[in-house]
Amino acid sequence: MDMSIALILGQDGITNGAIYALLALALVLVFAVTRVIFIQQGEFVAYGALTLAMMQSGATPATVWLLVAMGGLVTAFDGLKALKAGQMQRAGMVAGWNLAYPLALVAVLSALPVNELPLVLQVVLTLAIVVPMGPMMYRLMYQPIASAPVLILLIVSVALHIAMVGLGLLFFGAEGHRTPAFSELSFDLGPLMVTGQTIWVLVVSVLLIVALYQFFERTLYGKALRATAINRVGAQLMGISPALAGKLTFFLAAFIGALSGVLIAPITTIYYDTGFLIGLKGFVAAIIGGLASYPIAALGAIAVGLLEAFASFWASAYKEVIVFTLIIPVLLWRSLTSHHVEEEE
Amino acid sequence: MRTDRLVLGAFLALLLMVPAILSPYYVTLLNYIGLYAMVALGLVLLTGVGGLTSFGQAAFVGLGAYTTAALTTATDLPAWLAWVGASPWFTLVAGLLITAAVAVLLGSLTLKLSGHFLPLGTIAWGISLYFLFGTMQSLGGHTGITGIPPIELFGWTLDGGGEIFYLIWAFLLLGMLTTHNLLDSREGRAIRALKGGRVMAEAMGVDTGRARMIIFVIAALLACASGWLYAHMQRFVNPTPFGVHIGIEYLFMAVVGGAGYVWGAIVGAGVITVLKQWLQDWLPSLLGASGNFEMIVFGILMVLVLHRAREGLWPILKKLVPMRTIHKTIDAQAEPLPRRTLPAPGTLILEAKDVTRRFGGLVANNNMSLEVKAGEILALIGPNGAGKSTMFNQISGVDTPTSGEVLFLGKPVAGRDSREIARMGMSRTFQHVKLLPTMSVLENVAIGAHLRSHKGVLSSAWRLDRAEEARILKEAAHQIERVGLKDHMFDEAGSLALGQQRILEIARALCADPCLLLLDEPAAGLRYKEKQALAELLKRLRSEGMATLIVEHDMDFVMNLVDRVVVMEFGQKIAEGLPEEVQQNPAVLEAYLGGVE
Amino acid sequence: MKLRHTLLAAISLAFAASAAHAEIKVGVVVSATGPAASLGIPERNTVALLPTTIGGEPVRYIVLDDASDTTTAVKNARKLVAEDKVDVLIGSTTSPASLAMIDVAAETSTPMISLAASARIVSPMDDKKRWIFKTPQNDQQMASAIVEHMTANNVKRVSFIGFANAYGEGWFEQFKKQAEEKGVELVANERFNPADTSVTGQALKLMAAKPDAVFIAGSGTPSALPQKTLRERGYKGPIYQTHGVANNDFLRICGKDCEGTLLPVGPVQMARSLDDSHPVKASALAYVEKYEAVHGEGSVSSFGAYAWDAGVLLEAAAPVALQVAKPGSAEFRSALRDALEGVKEVAGATGIYTMSADDHLGLDERSRVMIEIRNGTWSLLK
Repeated sequence: MDMSIALILGQDGITNGAIYALLALALVLVFAVTRVIFIQQGEFVAYGALTLAMMQSGATPATVWLLVAMGGLVTAFDGLKALKAGQMQRAGMVAGWNLAYPLALVAVLSALPVNELPLVLQVVLTLAIVVPMGPMMYRLMYQPIASAPVLILLIVSVALHIAMVGLGLLFFGAEGHRTPAFSELSFDLGPLMVTGQTIWVLVVSVLLIVALYQFFERTLYGKALRATAINRVGAQLMGISPALAGKLTFFLAAFIGALSGVLIAPITTIYYDTGFLIGLKGFVAAIIGGLASYPIAALGAIAVGLLEAFASFWASAYKEVIVFTLIIPVLLWRSLTSHHVEEEE
Repeated sequence: MRTDRLVLGAFLALLLMVPAILSPYYVTLLNYIGLYAMVALGLVLLTGVGGLTSFGQAAFVGLGAYTTAALTTATDLPAWLAWVGASPWFTLVAGLLITAAVAVLLGSLTLKLSGHFLPLGTIAWGISLYFLFGTMQSLGGHTGITGIPPIELFGWTLDGGGEIFYLIWAFLLLGMLTTHNLLDSREGRAIRALKGGRVMAEAMGVDTGRARMIIFVIAALLACASGWLYAHMQRFVNPTPFGVHIGIEYLFMAVVGGAGYVWGAIVGAGVITVLKQWLQDWLPSLLGASGNFEMIVFGILMVLVLHRAREGLWPILKKLVPMRTIHKTIDAQAEPLPRRTLPAPGTLILEAKDVTRRFGGLVANNNMSLEVKAGEILALIGPNGAGKSTMFNQISGVDTPTSGEVLFLGKPVAGRDSREIARMGMSRTFQHVKLLPTMSVLENVAIGAHLRSHKGVLSSAWRLDRAEEARILKEAAHQIERVGLKDHMFDEAGSLALGQQRILEIARALCADPCLLLLDEPAAGLRYKEKQALAELLKRLRSEGMATLIVEHDMDFVMNLVDRVVVMEFGQKIAEGLPEEVQQNPAVLEAYLGGVE
Repeated sequence: MKLRHTLLAAISLAFAASAAHAEIKVGVVVSATGPAASLGIPERNTVALLPTTIGGEPVRYIVLDDASDTTTAVKNARKLVAEDKVDVLIGSTTSPASLAMIDVAAETSTPMISLAASARIVSPMDDKKRWIFKTPQNDQQMASAIVEHMTANNVKRVSFIGFANAYGEGWFEQFKKQAEEKGVELVANERFNPADTSVTGQALKLMAAKPDAVFIAGSGTPSALPQKTLRERGYKGPIYQTHGVANNDFLRICGKDCEGTLLPVGPVQMARSLDDSHPVKASALAYVEKYEAVHGEGSVSSFGAYAWDAGVLLEAAAPVALQVAKPGSAEFRSALRDALEGVKEVAGATGIYTMSADDHLGLDERSRVMIEIRNGTWSLLK
């Protein structure tokens, strides 16, 4: 192996690592606030990428129908409850966001020639479809059992992962999709070939991390989420609704997931079941950060990306064996150095 | 006849008849259910009882399957190994040995992982082993190994679904019986304490690290046996049935069936296997297209089950068959457990010398000294935040002093773990009650006798421990009577009032036959009569030669009971002496009543 | 639970008994979900196009999905044999699943037609494999086409990259064997997962070996990733793929990076471009037209054709068996097996089948052609 190969592998590892880092951040956030291990994070990546691809092929993305269905259920639960309690305004709000909004999206998608729209608009539409599924999913699937043990929440996540993969196959088919790059820019930097898309991935990742940091440090909602992550009961006593915190977290996680999908769709082929392994690697990075530390999780993600790139060069047949075996000592080290929780639930 | 035996008998009779009544396909399904249930049973022990989540069980199934597949089909084994491949029964032993070795290795690496590191660790080696099966050409690679011979038993070849059915279910029932027996024993109580009671269990002398390893290995062996049966039933192995997705599915089965219950394993495996099959049959006719809807409906159904029945399905099913709860019987004739000889009254038992504990800039204990003698009750009192709990932690070995030392029976406490201190004869209660709420009072107390008994996993699993078990239960019952909880002996510990739970902790501590009793606020939450009874008990223990240290708030309780009092404020000793003297001490009055300004 | 089982079994038994009129039941197991879904879905779609009457008897197809898992494949096979009392099994999509089903077929004396590639499914012939037939060309037949093309075009050093699963493995074994025989040197051997998002490491390794050509053994769209990466990294030499990529989705994903890609395919892929004299042209076109009428222009793939040919074989063999016994009986299944073994010069979409006691595949080199991707579409190499 010479220097140039090492550099290329390094570049490849960092690009993948940046995506893992984004996912790891979302996973840490979701776990800290809701104690949910968000296995479906990967499916949001796939849904984001494939919804965009479907739009570009000129079809109405099937995911919008899922959004309508989920919104309908939320309206049925929350809207009726509000109606019974005589809170007309609240019922209106619920129906507006969960019923009228998805239907409006359907109308927009069928009225516009979506495949001819500029890429930016397509991306915005994709996010508009996929991201609201996050809070809806929290409302429907997790809110009723928010106080359950971590294991139960985890199993619910796994079940939803299975259902989402099944839906993915139904919506997008078994074959993969790619979308055109955000920019056709490409230049050589020594032995490296830098493409516009790689830069996009890195820049957006960094921007998103900075934005999240600002959100948590500066805004009221961000602080509320941090408070909930540190002490759930305390935050509740201070008037921060755990349901709101949960929905907000899932909104952010879904946003990060769908955006990651849109970002990598031009670099690699995305399938309905791509999400699991990507999500799993983000999860590994998150765990390296102890599901608590954002910067270490991000570094862990880069490390996983690099390890993967070099392992695929040295011994591609054993790549997964190497990546997942080397994680055990890291886990051990993290486990021994992190604050030890004596009693586990 | 007891209803539970009746139901069990009916179940077994049904099982025996199954191949005769059911169509071959349903026998096949039951075979798979049996195989899955065996793995899920391991998870019941590991996850439901022990609180350790594992996604990697499928890899152990693979170890069992691949060991037998590789050995029974190999044609060029070295001579010293060739005899193993001659019969599947030898390869079963080989598989179990290999699995045990791998489980010990993986366990020693991953069981140290705390919290959520553990599930990820199991995913990691689950994926690693899966890809190893696939990349090793000697194991048939991704394509797999064909031509695995059927199992022979007493000259009877088990090559049809109906024949291997009996073997599978015999294995499963044996596994269930073993697990059931194990959980209802000394080791079992230690295992059941792993989930939410590790600190307490360690203080009672349980090696919780060993207990975790034990259930990890047992779960792995159950999975391995399932894999062995699978390989000889399917007569083909390749890596796909041992991947992480299947590992997740096993966990699914355990949780859906009821991860805390031995029978939950069968229920979970049965429901999921049959449900999948039915969905495959019904959905196409309902929805028109074939193939893709099963996963979706299956996932959503699972979520609904967990919304409605968090404990799994078994507790719900159990209610359908009204069964009287059978209480344990206490054998009055059982020989008492051996007792330690208590030191003569007046012997120095505990000595704290100039104990100082700093947390950063905060001095929680400053030059604290105290002594407790056999046959004496010493009270450590002081206002909130005086540093009593810190001092208690130094004495019980939970924390180590920055300087100074604590000597118990002349030996330093620092550097010894809770278990060793417990073995030396110090037994304690907790300020925040630590007991296992779903276990009966009797069983909670019996944990205290852990160090006074010795039967291990194998004798527990095969009921060779009954004589000793009777002695343990007799001792526990004795201590329960002594503290006045006789009426609640068979109640769930969690159903007691808080005061009674504190009393339970004292009974548990006494069950360890200590020479020094450390009580952390034992009277909190007790009613007047109960306090009186507790005081009587402590006085009686004193007369038997027990040394007792009490940390307490309740002045009346302390002053009428104890021999000497040590008063703390701001981490320092401000007074020491007889109760009457201390009550007159101006520094004490000021500390408690505030200075007269 | 128990009770319900018993009831269900009783009901299904009763049902089976009442349905004992002469109907040929065909049990189909395909991988319509899971990693092999892109192969299994066209197969499932094709089953819907298979003949509904053969020799005057109605044919019923019962299709089950094995989710690309061997355990489920066996479970499904047992269900089809025991519950539905099928006369013949078709499937499954992948080699491991097919291998796993052999025991079920042999144990219950049910003929089975596999849709998977590995030669191990039907050879070496033994007591169990008597019952097994297959329609796809063996890996070795396809591999030999590639190796022949390589030797003819002066390719001496080849880098290999394949799926880290049974597909890639089967190809590697066959390719290695034949390449060695023909003096083509394998200079690199790499693996990748269909779900991988990056194969840069492998691509660099392939290129570092300075090969005359690269051979990618994968199926469907995932196989485009190594090719795109190689081209991105500046590899200019020829690239070979397998027939597994021959579908429209692959062209869509791979785009201009796939210009010049060489691959062997079954004649069905090129049905329209074949000479009218080609013995398979008519039978292949019949399938192509039928499939594309339902699923759209260019949607046809080799995998669907394998399922089609299973139907073709049945159509040829079942009438013979019907003269011996009624469907639903052991005699019929046995007769059907014999009839399948006796099939001579039957033209399917994949090739001409001539079975014998030793050869339960029955295809020859007429079952494959080399093609090239030119101007974004498949074109026949003359």
